[in-house]
Amino acid sequence: MLANFLIGLREGLEAALVVGILVAYVVKTGRRDLLPAVRAGVAVAVTVSLAFGAVLTFGPQGLSFEAQEAIGGWLSIAAVGLVTWMIFWMARTARFLKSNLQHGLDAAIAAGKRAVVVMALLAVGREGLETALFLWAGAKATGTSTSPLLGAALGLAAAIALGWLVYRGAVRLDLRVFFAWTGLFLVVVAAGVLSYGVHDLQEAGILPGLHALAFDVSTSIPPTSWYGTLLKGVFNFSPATTWIQLAAWVAYLVPTATVFIRTTWGTPTRASRPAAVPAGVPA
Amino acid sequence: MPRSALSAAACAALVLPFAAGCVANTPASTSAAGSGAVTVDSSATACTLSAATAPSGTLTFSVTNSGTDVTEFYVLAADGLRVVAEVENLGPGLTRDLVVQARPGTYVTQCKPGMVGEGIRSDFTVTDSGTTVGPTGDTATQLAEAEESYVSYVKDQVGTLISGTQEFAAAYVAGDDATARDLYAATRLHWERIEPVAESFGDLDPFLDLREADLEAGQAWTGWHLIEKDLWAPAADANGGVAYTPLTQTQREAAAAGLVANTQAVVDAVNAPGFTFEAFQIANGAKALLDEVATGKITGEEEIWSHTDLWDVQANLDGARVAFEVLRDVADAADPELVKTLDARFTDLAALVSAQGSAETGFTSYDALSTDQVKQIAAAVDAVSEPLSRLTATVTSAS
Repeated sequence: MLANFLIGLREGLEAALVVGILVAYVVKTGRRDLLPAVRAGVAVAVTVSLAFGAVLTFGPQGLSFEAQEAIGGWLSIAAVGLVTWMIFWMARTARFLKSNLQHGLDAAIAAGKRAVVVMALLAVGREGLETALFLWAGAKATGTSTSPLLGAALGLAAAIALGWLVYRGAVRLDLRVFFAWTGLFLVVVAAGVLSYGVHDLQEAGILPGLHALAFDVSTSIPPTSWYGTLLKGVFNFSPATTWIQLAAWVAYLVPTATVFIRTTWGTPTRASRPAAVPAGVPA
Repeated sequence: MPRSALSAAACAALVLPFAAGCVANTPASTSAAGSGAVTVDSSATACTLSAATAPSGTLTFSVTNSGTDVTEFYVLAADGLRVVAEVENLGPGLTRDLVVQARPGTYVTQCKPGMVGEGIRSDFTVTDSGTTVGPTGDTATQLAEAEESYVSYVKDQVGTLISGTQEFAAAYVAGDDATARDLYAATRLHWERIEPVAESFGDLDPFLDLREADLEAGQAWTGWHLIEKDLWAPAADANGGVAYTPLTQTQREAAAAGLVANTQAVVDAVNAPGFTFEAFQIANGAKALLDEVATGKITGEEEIWSHTDLWDVQANLDGARVAFEVLRDVADAADPELVKTLDARFTDLAALVSAQGSAETGFTSYDALSTDQVKQIAAAVDAVSEPLSRLTATVTSAS
């Protein structure tokens, strides 16, 4: 039960957090009219995932391992691209706050309506197929026991609750602080997604070095523990990380975070104390 | 919509950008004593498989987690390192199917309760069932390229064939027999290079290329060899003791018109949208061309009046060679030894044939060849034919 709960939590967490931030962003910038677009993106991703999962589980045709890896890998790369774009879209928006808040924001959002839908779709869809396959396998097994399905469902619910809490906290934040911190958070998430995608490609034999581990802390952070689950769900942290994974993570995180911090906090020197800058005061 | 169609559509929509990724959930070979389906029980301390061997093809590992922690199941290559297939994140109490396109060989299976460590490993053997395992990824791309390149070769050849045939037919109808005799073998060259393709269109091959000896009762004789006989009119003793009657002008016109029309039908079929010639057909065609050489050409039966058999031998050889070349990359990846053998034997055969002339300068007449020369060429043809018969299997099982 607990193990299945943690799987549900892990699979749902990243999506819930990204969607939570997306909704907080839309609400805080006074564009509640975009909420249906977010809802639509999430609904489409959930429906499509469940439908494909059901067909692939119960239909006569399944997916080969290679195809599953390829789908996971490509969606990861697309997700990293989109999240990165969103981060800098936010950063640009934050910058406009210095001068003409309303005007700048409108310009940024005008470009972003379709992006909001796609972001929501991709955040949910990336883990969606895997989760759907898990859920349907659970449904198939309900003849023997309903506890796997129940555990996973509770885990997903917990993930959504955590996403909602992040959203609540985020909407209370001052707008500039919100941009700064959620943006930075998303940089770390995207780095994790990239690293995870790299691992998929290593497993598929496209990239080498699957067994060249940079570190292996799986004895102190077991992947099936609750903290291992949280780290994996939020940051895609893998207790056994290969050198190439680590390199990809660093190669993405360091420059992206650097550019983001410079863009958002104006000068690198202020980056250390972002919260100290009061809202509305020109930096 | 029927379930299978729905499933195939969903599968296609998902994996369209990723080459061949759809596999049957129910292996075709399950009838044979449950082969093709292996159940795996992964508990906290054990990894129990229902079988340690399975025949090649689509294998389904039905993995059940009977432990209390999350588990993973891997199929690894013989080195125990490379991942062939895996199912991750299998919660307690759940069963997931892992579908693998398995080629013959040894593998290592591994359960990983708790998703850490070396897991519980055992050896697994996939025997050769003769089932071809579908191509994926790069091979699929290579095969698609091979097919495309062979189809453009065929289109190029039929283009030259139709214009040559028209010229030949015109000279024949005009009574310019000397020109027609000159054009005969050189034009047929383009026909003989792609004959397996023409044979795939059913009726056209007999209309165009039937020999008198193969005529069935009541069958009308048309095509190249009817005209051949008329151009190289035999003496009575070579014609079954009956004096040969030349065709009338009306018969000539009908024979020429039929030859052009039927050739045009081949051209149209080849250029029709959607015409493809699949890799296995290319490989089989290569073999068919050499069989032609062995059964008809090298015996001198094909061109019994004109004795231009060596032109046909050269053309069949060209066709087989091109077919082999377009499939070379795929074959080389699957069986480099076979490719090396074919290279060497094709070269030997080509040397023997080119000793008797070329398409540009003309070939020795078949009746001028010594028995030894014929035997030599026949042996060289057989030497290519034997490894070539393995090309289809090699290409279709490559993945």
